[in-house]
Amino acid sequence: MYKLVPSVCSYCGTGCGVLFKVLDGKLMGTLPLKTHPVNEGKLCIKGWNLHEFVNSPLRLQAPLIRLNGRFTKVTWDRAIQYTADKFREVIDKYGPDSVGVLASAKITNEDNYLIQKFARAVIGTNNVDHCARL
Amino acid sequence: MHAKVQEWLETGKVDIFLGYKMIAGHPLPYAFSRQNLAEVPDMIVGQARYALEKLAAEITAARPEIKVGIMARDCNRRALNVLMVHQQVAPGQVEVLEVGCCPSPLREHADCSALESKEVGFYKKEVGIDNNQSLESVENFEPQDRFSRWMYEFQKCLKCYGCRNICPVCFCKECSLEHEDLIGTGELPPEVPIFHLVRAVHMAGRCIDCGLCEDACPADIPLRLLYRKVNDIVANLFDYKTGISLKQAPLSLIFDQNAHQAEGHPEA
Repeated sequence: MYKLVPSVCSYCGTGCGVLFKVLDGKLMGTLPLKTHPVNEGKLCIKGWNLHEFVNSPLRLQAPLIRLNGRFTKVTWDRAIQYTADKFREVIDKYGPDSVGVLASAKITNEDNYLIQKFARAVIGTNNVDHCARL
Repeated sequence: MHAKVQEWLETGKVDIFLGYKMIAGHPLPYAFSRQNLAEVPDMIVGQARYALEKLAAEITAARPEIKVGIMARDCNRRALNVLMVHQQVAPGQVEVLEVGCCPSPLREHADCSALESKEVGFYKKEVGIDNNQSLESVENFEPQDRFSRWMYEFQKCLKCYGCRNICPVCFCKECSLEHEDLIGTGELPPEVPIFHLVRAVHMAGRCIDCGLCEDACPADIPLRLLYRKVNDIVANLFDYKTGISLKQAPLSLIFDQNAHQAEGHPEA
């Protein structure tokens, strides 16, 4: 019926503790987690409004590919295959250093490690950077 | 405490009881219900304070058929009184289980973050206002000095509006902060100290001095002191003590009546 779910803010790399208010399975609001060692019960304006994008009608919930000039919903398999084919095409034509990879502050250390591994081992470039430096 | 909550849930006196429980090392607010009766013995009071009465008001606003019980410290109780006086919570919809929070011979630590305040740094004491200072000692600063000290505090504001969001008695459906005509999307937020002083005025007859705003302020602005001053004025001018009783009318109504009489109109 009513739940309070602890989580970590997904907006930036700071990692503030948040508490989601959930009523009947729907996200109602966000509170700062008072005892969290990172934010000690404080949040910035983005954290306070963290719940808003989850219920936004503008949120992308499936991958889209532009087909004949229009975005079309496709399966994940199709989207990943399409992206891989395009990468192949670009790398074959211009070399691996024509690709750059930007990692994210919003994902885990492990995911970021995988991203740089993907850039170096799969694509073959050292062009790796991070969105927090943009 | 546990037996009472268990009984309330079993007899249907309440459908949800908001208390605290240790989860992953954090004392978190937790909703106990008939579905998780077995967890009731895990309920704790804990040192962290959340505005449980605000959560209760939000739940009952969305689902009026639900009865909510809350574990209430003194500040929760006062805030609930204000919410009921302003008709944000219907009588009988929220049940209260009062718990002590002050330190006592049986309790070494206060069960409350506000009662164990943090030491303030040297620079803040020098040019700003110490959050632990008394109202009288702030008023003893020379007017020019006092102004610059308050302005030093206000200019640190990050405009997170956490003070408004966390406030248990901030319940307006239409906040002027979100009013299209007053502050449009894509425009700069109100300048310092407009927001802080407007909010302070809105706190007259509402603020119950729980200190959650100050707890939530990333810039450590002494908001509690500011609102204490506002309510000091209200108490002196209108003999209105916020949150102590369910029998009083909202201050704004009393204020209107007093102003009406002061203008020489006969009593309405």
